[in-house]
Amino acid sequence: MEQSALLTYLILIPFAGSIILFAFKEKHAQLIRWFGLFVSGLAFILSLVIYFSFDAAKPGFQFTHKVLWIDSLNVSYHVGADGISVLLILLTTFITPLTLLSSWKSIQKKVKMFTIMMLFLEVGMLGVFMSLDIFLFYIFWEVMLIPMYFIIGIWGGEQRIYASVKFFIYTMFGSLLMLVAIIWLAVYASEVTGSFTTDLLELYKIGPTIARDTQNWMFLAFLLSFAIKVPLFPLHTWLPDAHVQAPTAGSVILAGVLLKMGTYGMLRFNLPLFPQSAMQYAPFISVLAVIGIIYGALVAMVQTDMKKLVAYSSVSHLGFVVLGIFALTEESIQGAVIQMVNHGLSTGALFLLVGIVYERTHRREISYYGGIAKLVPVYATAMMIASLSSIGLPGLNGFIGEFLILLGSFKSQSLDSWWFVIFGATGVIFAAVYLLWMYERVFFGKVTNPKLESELTDLNKRELLVLIPIFVLIVWIGIYPSTFLNLTEVSTQSILQHVSSFTINLLN
Amino acid sequence: MTSIPLEYYLILSAFMFSVGVTGVLIRRNAIVVFMCIELMLNSANLTLVAFSSFLGNPIGQVFVFFVMTVAAAEAAVGLAIIIAIFRNKLSVNIDEINIFKW
Amino acid sequence: MDLSFITESLYFVKPEIAASASIILLVLLDLIFHKNKTIIPYVALAGIIITGIFVVDQFNISGFAFLSTDNPKYGMIAVDNFGAFFKLIIIISSIFVVAFSAYSDEINKITDRLGEYYALIFGMILGMLVLISASDLILIYLSMELLSLSSYVLAGFTKLRDRSSEASLKYLLYGATSTGMMLFGISILYGLTGSTNLYIISAALQTQSLNLLTLAFSIILIFAGIGYKISSAPFHFWTPDVYEGAPISITAYLSVASKAAGFALLIRFIKTTFVTFVDDNGNWQLLQVFDWESLLIIISLLTMTLGNFTALWQRNLKRMLAYSSIAHAGYLMLGLLVFSNQGLIAILIYFTIYLFMNLGAFFIVMVIANKTGSEDIDDYDGLGFKSSFLGVSLAIFLVSLTGLPPTAGFIGKLYLFIALVDAKMLTVAIIALLNTVVSLYYYIRVLKHMFLTSPTEKTEKIPLNFGQIAVIIIMLIPILLFGVYFSPVVDLAKSYITILGF
Repeated sequence: MEQSALLTYLILIPFAGSIILFAFKEKHAQLIRWFGLFVSGLAFILSLVIYFSFDAAKPGFQFTHKVLWIDSLNVSYHVGADGISVLLILLTTFITPLTLLSSWKSIQKKVKMFTIMMLFLEVGMLGVFMSLDIFLFYIFWEVMLIPMYFIIGIWGGEQRIYASVKFFIYTMFGSLLMLVAIIWLAVYASEVTGSFTTDLLELYKIGPTIARDTQNWMFLAFLLSFAIKVPLFPLHTWLPDAHVQAPTAGSVILAGVLLKMGTYGMLRFNLPLFPQSAMQYAPFISVLAVIGIIYGALVAMVQTDMKKLVAYSSVSHLGFVVLGIFALTEESIQGAVIQMVNHGLSTGALFLLVGIVYERTHRREISYYGGIAKLVPVYATAMMIASLSSIGLPGLNGFIGEFLILLGSFKSQSLDSWWFVIFGATGVIFAAVYLLWMYERVFFGKVTNPKLESELTDLNKRELLVLIPIFVLIVWIGIYPSTFLNLTEVSTQSILQHVSSFTINLLN
Repeated sequence: MTSIPLEYYLILSAFMFSVGVTGVLIRRNAIVVFMCIELMLNSANLTLVAFSSFLGNPIGQVFVFFVMTVAAAEAAVGLAIIIAIFRNKLSVNIDEINIFKW
Repeated sequence: MDLSFITESLYFVKPEIAASASIILLVLLDLIFHKNKTIIPYVALAGIIITGIFVVDQFNISGFAFLSTDNPKYGMIAVDNFGAFFKLIIIISSIFVVAFSAYSDEINKITDRLGEYYALIFGMILGMLVLISASDLILIYLSMELLSLSSYVLAGFTKLRDRSSEASLKYLLYGATSTGMMLFGISILYGLTGSTNLYIISAALQTQSLNLLTLAFSIILIFAGIGYKISSAPFHFWTPDVYEGAPISITAYLSVASKAAGFALLIRFIKTTFVTFVDDNGNWQLLQVFDWESLLIIISLLTMTLGNFTALWQRNLKRMLAYSSIAHAGYLMLGLLVFSNQGLIAILIYFTIYLFMNLGAFFIVMVIANKTGSEDIDDYDGLGFKSSFLGVSLAIFLVSLTGLPPTAGFIGKLYLFIALVDAKMLTVAIIALLNTVVSLYYYIRVLKHMFLTSPTEKTEKIPLNFGQIAVIIIMLIPILLFGVYFSPVVDLAKSYITILGF
């Protein structure tokens, strides 16, 4: 297998899988499920191959594959991966089969369409993480909207239609502004270099030379699009609706991967393309991030619905990631990247666990439950691990990410204030409060609701099979994070070097 | 012929045109509206002929012949349509022809 | 008298001759086969294809037909690549519309007037072909009237239905008023410049100093006529009513072909009459009669905003598509208001794509209406699962109309926005984008009804025959293909922007 085409093959696997699925008959639901699992598993194996053949010590993009696509606009199909991309690609291919497995029983209607949509979504997500051409990136970015719209809208909860339309319109709004910025950049490039280009590596050289005030506008246009996706306070209002209404698999993908596209975009586009503006706006964005951390945590605390609680905890956790990115130090960005993965794992696990009881009782209110630790001990343990990981207990993954982010922000020159760290740290405490409080109300004490005894059953083998890989990674990152930090170290350094080479005189 | 200046023709045709437009806007009977449209066409004809004779250029007069032909065709089609609607509605009042709304 | 100039001219008007011959042939056939008219659609199709062959034959040919006696450098008909491109769009959409009509129950019910129907369609085709190449005000007026008169009758073709005859009357009243205003404008322009030939007028405007106010008045009156054809605000009021009342195949035709002809006229009129020269970057320099840019920006933004916002409330799909086509006229004007070759390329690309996506959407609405007899959005509940091919295809057409990748609609919008950004009109671009977000809402509402709402007992499976599936697939292929690989369209558009005279 040729090295450079590996990423292309990786995209093609789920794409071909979804096309083949069209030929399946709706009534062979079981076959469709197995096929979906097989295809996404295959993608995971290929991404492992990519991971092992990736040379983490080399800076720059690897496995690059460039084919001229539209010659009149000089747009090419250009993919490649650095350490950050590889990590997120791994996360994507890891989560997708698990979500398919988790929806084995919960998705009963229109299984064929569901599996097709999930595989399409995987194509879009992988494409976003590996595009090195902003035009290609934009196409993948938008392509994902439609499958996600259907996943929320068809298989979601009672208010699914409202939630899906809201999700669609919010994201579309942001991404259209990004489109104008992309076109503007390409036109600018044609004025500077004489040729229209959307190649990211070319634009890295051109972007920082844009006049400051225009650069600020471009920066904000990109930022708005990504901030809606993340979602950064105060643009987060679509998220609770989408999360709560989406089916479990949708929530997991949404939390696990889709939100990361926003933060990934900030890292890949906002920082290197507009370094001066990034530096200028870093404190402002970090303030929003910190508000997000605290606001998300406080709102999560008062939720009565478990899924909503987890959804708001996402707002809080993603705040950390954004803070890490805009602190612009090596530790904080490394922490942010690892925190993206952490959030995918721990929040993914929390959504899966909430989904598991919901499947049995069809209730998500905290008050409906009580004392169920006695009824479902294995489930209770799993929930404990997921919650502790989300809180950031040392020894588990969450701690590593949050610690690195806070450490980095403390040293940060761009923020130049440790108030961010102090407020950020309170977010960790709040997280402990809302999660443990929820845990206490749901699991401890006497069984409050007699109906639960008949409704609840403990985790079955399939559910354990979904959760155990996640828990293995949670512990792995917590105990030995170097595996992952090494992967992203060089890439992070090169982004930072690029940024600092343009902003060195801004700091003084 | 030279005794009447060009302006007089133009003023008259502008007046006819205004009457036509006003009629289209305020009259409610489809046939009257249609007559007002004919008035607009004829005001244009008058302008064309006046200019043609003023400029000593025959194109304007040729144009008028075409316009008259078209106006006749338009009247034929228009009246046919008005008859069709009259058969359905037994009315040619525009206010009553109102199945479509916003 | 030497008549050789006429015979020489005939060389340039072969498509128009073929179309006229087809009208006569169809009328005759209608008389001969008055019992069984199954042959007529095939004859019509053959006529269109022959006309199309002559149109393709005109590619890369340029010249004037019917030379002016004042200045034999110019003529009444300008044959050039720009015109050939739009004529091809007319031909392709005509082929589709004949195919639509062959599957349309509302048309086929009226068997005894089938001959008239196709003859009138050819009347429209002839009108549009001439309108696209006309470079003389007389010819512009005549072809516009030929197009309009044929379409008035066609809009009311199912005259026994209230809605159809009402549509026809409204179309007639609006149309006759607008063309009347246009004629008055033409008469003033003639008086100011002493000619009806656009090229001679252009020369006169550049050399003589004229009363700008009168000139502006006459141009605005002429725009009233053109604006009505392309249904741009504030001359769009007829559009929804006519589109809703007319038979669907005619609605589809009006929304694509007649709009294309109107745009071709608008572009040719502005470019030949008011553009003084084109600089190296392809930017057009216009005569300063008034602030062209602001005028067109206002019209364009008004058109798309009105179209999009009113579409939000519509429950009838045909009416919703009517408002959406108003909005699309607004988007198309974005390509004109930048006054550059880049913008012209964008318009050509957009039209190519718009042709397929809009016709596709109308065709599926028609197929569904054939079966259910309704275009109400509530009758689409759960349709995506009952008739999944239709549902998915309609979804793709609507997504493309919204302008989302990976469909071709995105490419159309992309080039318009590139043209806008190139011309440094970021604010206009952003307002247009916000409009796209608004349009997203009503397009996905259809998807919502088709896929997110469960089928009611009223929802039936819609049977499709082979021909209908083929028509849909032929329209789907360009939408999906050009969405990911659009070089061919772009190259085509780039080589077809030449308008005679520059």
